[in-house]
Amino acid sequence: MSAFRLQQLKSHILFESKIAAMSGSPSPLTTHVLNTALGVPGTNVTLRLYQQDTTTNVWQLITTGTTNDDGRCPGLITQEQFKAGVYKLHFETGQYWASMGQTSFYPYVEIVFTITDPGQKYHVPLLVSRFSYSTYRGS
Amino acid sequence: MKSVNSKDLQKMAVAESSPLTTHVLNTSDGVPGAKMALSLHRLDTRLMIWSMISVGTTNEDGYCPGLISREAFIPGMYKLRFETGSYWEGLGKTSFYPYVEIVFTIHNPAERFHLPLLMSSFSYSTCRGN
Repeated sequence: MSAFRLQQLKSHILFESKIAAMSGSPSPLTTHVLNTALGVPGTNVTLRLYQQDTTTNVWQLITTGTTNDDGRCPGLITQEQFKAGVYKLHFETGQYWASMGQTSFYPYVEIVFTITDPGQKYHVPLLVSRFSYSTYRGS
Repeated sequence: MKSVNSKDLQKMAVAESSPLTTHVLNTSDGVPGAKMALSLHRLDTRLMIWSMISVGTTNEDGYCPGLISREAFIPGMYKLRFETGSYWEGLGKTSFYPYVEIVFTIHNPAERFHLPLLMSSFSYSTCRGN
């Protein structure tokens, strides 16, 4: 089989697996990491989603993931798990900059937010440089 | 014009000598984030717990002088916690964030560090200034 033909087949398979990941209903909570210093998506950023237990206030780990080439991390949470309450997204931004041989002012970024209506879609992006970051509630 | 006596000058000198400062801005209303409670913590690396260094409230200009003294400002990991949820509640609004915590690393405490917080009820940003 030629190298060109192998490439074609590989791109078909990758396309299929993207569809598979999306075929369950998409996560009602999404994120997007953007490297504002370079104007590129923040790829390969490790992140963790926690849900705060309403009785004990202890943080329960829901998902661990890594951002893809687009800086996104599909499948953060299912609609069933997504109850009203307080959540936390923890981004390993220090590790991200270190992997590019750079230091950063922030060892990590944590964003704590309140979900009042789990029927809505929530988008919690992180725009980050070595010395700044911002976030907003999108949908 | 209000006259400033030497006691006031002393207080101002102590307050402004904090090597770490912050400034809270309410970007929704285009005003300083006044009367916001906040606290500064340092990570105790031996016990791996946060110990509180100071608690304060921002003034009318959104500043909180006297966060930490030069002597106490040693290298390490610090956290500034802003009670943003209570702030917006006080204005009769809900907020997406119950509080904001900014964790940062200080390698060279001889420098000055200014950590502003620009926020609305649905967004916030911060940066390292000096």
